[in-house]
Amino acid sequence: VSAPLRRVEEWFAERGWSPFAFQREVWEAYRRGESGLIHAATGTGKTLAAWVAPLLEWLEENPRAAAATGKARRDRSPALRVLWITPLRALAADTLEAMRLPVERLGIPWSLEARTGDTPEAVKARQRRRLPTTLVTTPESLSLLLSRGDVGELFGDLRLVVVDEWHELMGTKRGVQTELALARVRALRPTVRTWGLSATIGNLDEALVTLLGAARPDGARIVRGVEPKRVIVDSLIPPEVERFPWAGHLGTQMLPQVLDAIEEGESAIVFTNTRSQTEIWYQAILAARPDWAGLIALHHGSLERKTRDWVEQGLREGRLRCVVATSSLDLGVDFSPVDRVLQIGSPKGVARLLQRAGRSGHRPGAMSRVTCVPTHVLELIEVAAVRDGIAAGAVESRTPVERPLDVLVQHLITAALGGGFVAEELLREVRGTRAFAGLRDDEWQWALEFVTSGGAALQAYPEYARVVERGGRYVVENAEIARRHRMSIGTIVADAHIAVQYLRGPRLGTVEESFIARMRPGDRFVFSGKPLEFVRVRDMKAWVRKARSTNGSIPRWMGSRLPLSGELAAALRRRLGEASRGDFRDPEMEAVRPILQVQASWSAIPTEHQLLIERVQSREGHHLYFFPFEGRLVHEGLAALFAYRISRLRPISFTMASNDYGLELLSPDAAPLEDALRAGLLAPSNLLDDVPASLNATEMARRQFREIARVSGLVFPGLPNAGKSARQLQASSGLIFDVFVRYDPDNPLVSQAHREVLERQLESSRLGRTLERLARADVVITTPRRTPPLAFPLLVDRTREKVSSEGLGDRVRRMQLALEREAG
Amino acid sequence: VIGSGDTSLQAAGELLLLLPERGVFWPAAATLFVADTHWGKAAAFRAGGVPLPPGTTLNGLSRLEALVERTRARRLVFLGDFLHAVEGRTPSVLKRLAEWRARHELVDMVLVRGNHDRRAGDPPPEVGIRCVDAPLLEPPFALAHHPPSGQAPYFLAGHLHPGVRLSGPGRQRERLACFWVTPRGVVLPAFGEFTGMADVRAGPGDRVFVAAGGAVVEVQPRAQAR
Repeated sequence: VSAPLRRVEEWFAERGWSPFAFQREVWEAYRRGESGLIHAATGTGKTLAAWVAPLLEWLEENPRAAAATGKARRDRSPALRVLWITPLRALAADTLEAMRLPVERLGIPWSLEARTGDTPEAVKARQRRRLPTTLVTTPESLSLLLSRGDVGELFGDLRLVVVDEWHELMGTKRGVQTELALARVRALRPTVRTWGLSATIGNLDEALVTLLGAARPDGARIVRGVEPKRVIVDSLIPPEVERFPWAGHLGTQMLPQVLDAIEEGESAIVFTNTRSQTEIWYQAILAARPDWAGLIALHHGSLERKTRDWVEQGLREGRLRCVVATSSLDLGVDFSPVDRVLQIGSPKGVARLLQRAGRSGHRPGAMSRVTCVPTHVLELIEVAAVRDGIAAGAVESRTPVERPLDVLVQHLITAALGGGFVAEELLREVRGTRAFAGLRDDEWQWALEFVTSGGAALQAYPEYARVVERGGRYVVENAEIARRHRMSIGTIVADAHIAVQYLRGPRLGTVEESFIARMRPGDRFVFSGKPLEFVRVRDMKAWVRKARSTNGSIPRWMGSRLPLSGELAAALRRRLGEASRGDFRDPEMEAVRPILQVQASWSAIPTEHQLLIERVQSREGHHLYFFPFEGRLVHEGLAALFAYRISRLRPISFTMASNDYGLELLSPDAAPLEDALRAGLLAPSNLLDDVPASLNATEMARRQFREIARVSGLVFPGLPNAGKSARQLQASSGLIFDVFVRYDPDNPLVSQAHREVLERQLESSRLGRTLERLARADVVITTPRRTPPLAFPLLVDRTREKVSSEGLGDRVRRMQLALEREAG
Repeated sequence: VIGSGDTSLQAAGELLLLLPERGVFWPAAATLFVADTHWGKAAAFRAGGVPLPPGTTLNGLSRLEALVERTRARRLVFLGDFLHAVEGRTPSVLKRLAEWRARHELVDMVLVRGNHDRRAGDPPPEVGIRCVDAPLLEPPFALAHHPPSGQAPYFLAGHLHPGVRLSGPGRQRERLACFWVTPRGVVLPAFGEFTGMADVRAGPGDRVFVAAGGAVVEVQPRAQAR
């Protein structure tokens, strides 16, 4: 055992630990120059596995300096050696805290700092002069570093890049941004090692390749951490299911049982699926237990940083009885005192529920337990199904993103700013990433033209140029373009957000601009657990004052409707199949039995081999309900496809709704269902033509373009100090999309919008597989007189897509001005 | 002169035609009104580093050309926001404007200046459009960009880019540009295609006409369900 390793072991021993075998494996592999991926449950020592490795390296290289103790002076600390990338700004501070301990105890004179959007300007200025030895940062801030002209020198002694929570990043465009940034870092500093930290997911091999690039510079390995704790999943079952409105949501009717469950433990986290649910449950708990004021809190990503810090600190110290939270608390360091986790609403996926369950039971010998609270009676079936999924080890995969050209365009400008690039060299580098391994020559050429001349269609516009070629190198010369690019690098995640602030008082957090846009002065809403009255919007802020009463709308945030995972959907179909044969094992199934019996007597419970279609006529028109049970995204695609195929038989207008169980097509006149089925409504053939055509009929691609436009720099966030000239360059991405579709329909960004809807939104491969399954299924058509339980949630769903084969004029003649309240 | 999709409107004792091409025609004076053309908007974006394909201004001008020919207007009044921004006064935009103007030599053209015109500047003199500040009084009408407040004469104006949301059977919904007809005047929809919309709240006594599928259609407020 080397001297440095002995000192590390001593430090472990002081804390009553000894290094795990997987930690030693990582340290040894790192020492040999290898890169890799570590997967383990949260709170099992992943961070130390990655972090101690470069510390050991330094101790070996500096045997004498290591004898010194105490904090080093920042300006004399070694140059940047470790980059630690974290997906959430919120995690940076915690991670830093955890990393500081061994450094101080081992007397290593390193400086450790975070750099995120939250970092104070003074610290950023200091970092512009000199980076710390270890920098904890986000993918966006890493891209910003790469846009600096002196980036080569900055990374001169970089040894290690760690990507924390890689499973969270890799299925997203931020993951691609990270892939490109890592490729850049490796090009600047070929000896650098890369280690990823991940929860256990279904496709770890793919995660490793995505992290390291197709080339795999050194040996690479997947290191498996400590076995996860045993997980218990149970439910709070409504006492008399029959008396609950199976038609709609239970709302907070389960509150008494939830309060009991919270009281059973010392400290609880109540997870919800949306930020608005968080606000609703927080209000409900506080109203029922006013004496808990100060002991309960809420936590979601839109709240002000300071509020979130206070809450996390409270959890760590065991000061808080209960925190109501969204996925903002899914990740990160441990809250050891937490001994009770509740999940309000559908678990949505096996991995997700496991992750949340893992937030409890960190005390020795404890098990992880998560208690599901249905917000809709049918969700009890999902709880039974998720338990099956856990037992079968059916953990979901994260599908990496393929060739997002908007991210590539952004990266080209970043590289042009960061010292410039030579086209062939950068192409080789970009193709070395998993995301762009299949980048075609014409796509690369287009991206290059897009940032230089604006693309082939724009050659008549010499006034446009973001990047220029100077002696074989592509660089940015225009300072205004540089400034705007740096401002928009960080916007991949964020939709247009607006700060909420008291007229005379502090900021409370941010909400989506679309929510505030619907507000009128005097309107009330609840945010950050406080009843507020909207006063006005000025200077990019929504100004509010305290409202006396709490009745008011709760902000709805976009992107919060996570679909049911494929794994969970399959387990759900099996559970329904069992129910159709009279098998109601487990308390959850027993509890929903009366409702499923109503479903069976009014219509039918589909087996695994059936497709149930219900036709119902109501005051609103003619409803067709299809139940493939494949998750909301697939259903959105099927709804568009079915509506399109039927509308080709004769002029008809549909509005569609989708949820995790099925989809609804609603039309003023009866749809020719039988004709359509005979004509191949469910056929998996012609998908390549029919799916894009059905997408064009909806607005899905237009909406998807929002993100593409933002990432590729077609729209940029409002600049705080922008003058009139900048404001005149603002247009909605929808308008820009329309201009492209009309005047440059072959633009790759437009094709990308379609591709993203297909691949990411509608999970097209899943869509194809679903159709193959449905084409083989026995179609069961029922015509219930009233809407049966499975269809009811669709009936009341208000978010709708539309497809029509009638003329707009004909349609408009039957329409009226919408009621004001519907206008949102 | 009246097309099958046009809708007539009695306003201040005069007959006006609301046109599906998003203009208003006043037959008695052979005058065509359009608002908010925002010529050169995409060019201004390009100049600012936002790559948009060309074609919006050219297409808008040919739409306007077709409209002038269809109505046989002798006069064309732009109700403000003629050019979008000073950055959009590119040689190609100005050239297209001049060529277009030359094809309609006999049509008298007036611009009632709006907020964008103040920064973007008047069209160059060779385009031959007379520019005046609002309101331009043409009894019985007051022509303006921003809808005037107070008891002005009956106004024709733009600026708001009015739009409405519609709903129909089977939960059908649409959002469309509209003519907003109030007891005090008419707000025209924006003529330029690369322009947005703002929802208007039609009060009692207001009428709303949408341009849909080649026709101007009046839409009714829904009876308050209660």
